[in-house]
Amino acid sequence: MTGALPGVAPMAVPPGAYLVVGTLLFAIGLAGTLLKRNALSIFLSIELMMNAVNLLFLTYARMRGDMAGQMIVFFVIAIAAAEASVGLAIFVALFRVRRTVDVDEIALLKW
Amino acid sequence: MPALSGELVVFTIASILAIGFALAMVLQKTPVRSVLSLVVTFFGLAIFSIQLAAPFIAVLQVFVYAGAILVLFLFVIMLLNLSQEATEEDARPIQRRLGFVAALALGGVLSGAALRAPMPKGVAPAITPLADEIPMIGRLLFSDYLLAFEALSFLLLVAAVGALLLSKRRFE
Repeated sequence: MTGALPGVAPMAVPPGAYLVVGTLLFAIGLAGTLLKRNALSIFLSIELMMNAVNLLFLTYARMRGDMAGQMIVFFVIAIAAAEASVGLAIFVALFRVRRTVDVDEIALLKW
Repeated sequence: MPALSGELVVFTIASILAIGFALAMVLQKTPVRSVLSLVVTFFGLAIFSIQLAAPFIAVLQVFVYAGAILVLFLFVIMLLNLSQEATEEDARPIQRRLGFVAALALGGVLSGAALRAPMPKGVAPAITPLADEIPMIGRLLFSDYLLAFEALSFLLLVAAVGALLLSKRRFE
């Protein structure tokens, strides 16, 4: 026992590994956003992308020993909550009018 | 490369869980299953947060994301009775293929860049001992980030009122 606190110990996992996992999750989220047809699934993929970016923020915060990254993640999570409530309300309203949330069917603002 | 340690083992398990279930989220046809897969991914991300010396963020992630936001998604999916994605013929096969290629390319480029980026040899010492993290976040929230914090509380209020209005209003 060296007496080091868990938070003070040097990182056993190289920070690059976190960055790769974060970018892979971001790419998976992007794939979901582009490939899904259900608006709710697209929204879900966007949530995944935000969380991937949160992971990158946390990694850099840990690498730099700076609290700002964690604060940004705090704000991102809170804003995601606001965004989810408004977005889902929009989908409910949309479903009432169009009886579908398939984005291929909803092309009112296209062209 | 560091020697095999418990932290590395936990990281490996969490990353396999997170990436595997994120892929499952994209590949699932049923929205409910997508949401449940994403819950597992968020638990993996919470494990990462703990490993990155941010236990408060990990708890927030589980409470707010896995707890509140995804349950909201489940409610809406069940409210709209979306049992299946549209199953009829895909109207835009070329665009979907292009989207898949674009996502693959972005993932490759970004992770390549992440691997090649110059990394500091020694990592900065952790911000604080873990027990001091929450008081520190609290102090920062009410000093350096006070304006953002107050704006955020106002934003949440506006979003709640907006969501209520949007779901109550009758559209023609």
